[in-house]
Amino acid sequence: MRLIGRVIQNLKRRFRKSSHHGLGLLVFENTSEVIRAEQILKKEGCDVSVKGPPPELRKGCDLVIEFQLVEELRVRCVLQKQGASILDVVPLNSELLQPVDIFQTRDFGDYLMVRAANMKITVDKQSTMIVNISGGGCPDVPYLAQEMVGKKLQDAPTPRDIGHTLCGYALQLAYEEIQQQC
Amino acid sequence: MSNIVDARGLSCPQPVLLTVEKIKQLKAGKLEILVDTESALENVKRAVVDNNWTVDVVNAVDGEYNIQASKA
Repeated sequence: MRLIGRVIQNLKRRFRKSSHHGLGLLVFENTSEVIRAEQILKKEGCDVSVKGPPPELRKGCDLVIEFQLVEELRVRCVLQKQGASILDVVPLNSELLQPVDIFQTRDFGDYLMVRAANMKITVDKQSTMIVNISGGGCPDVPYLAQEMVGKKLQDAPTPRDIGHTLCGYALQLAYEEIQQQC
Repeated sequence: MSNIVDARGLSCPQPVLLTVEKIKQLKAGKLEILVDTESALENVKRAVVDNNWTVDVVNAVDGEYNIQASKA
């Protein structure tokens, strides 16, 4: 059953990459609200992902949440119950209104780097050893690097567990993305 | 074989990757790495230690750093 679930999630992700039909964006006042809302919605089983907003939607926050429009009522309800206030809900019905993928991947041959927002993680493709973590400027970045560099992806502590800042959050996104690619 | 890695002007992770590649080639001896940002300095120092080499000296001049590392 878990395998079927993973296949369905992969198919959904592929579909979402190829088309934004039926998707919308949740806009929040600030990044902390986005992170909190994402956690709430994922805990409730909603199919959401964090993206960079299209330039037209930038309202002082560098992240938005992409969600299935058919779930709008449920999403609003869940967030309202938890006291999370949405600034705007925008349907992605225009070609001009495309969210920006916050991930950038660069292949250095033996090494693969994934950047999520302001954080970068680089892994040795063969051994899956984390060789570098950089970016950010938050006070916990040196600690995150110290704890994670030199360890295999599967053995390293997750930034979610040991990070305390937005850099830790961005690194968690990069960490999840590179796990899928390696 | 030159034992100098000039990673000035490169952004992370490239200084680290060049250093790791050179360490793999040399296996032991002395190595000098040139970087020009503080984050590259920290990342390279970490990579050197993670690969069981020692950071002997770091010289900072005009915003550039010369890292001397070695392994017996």
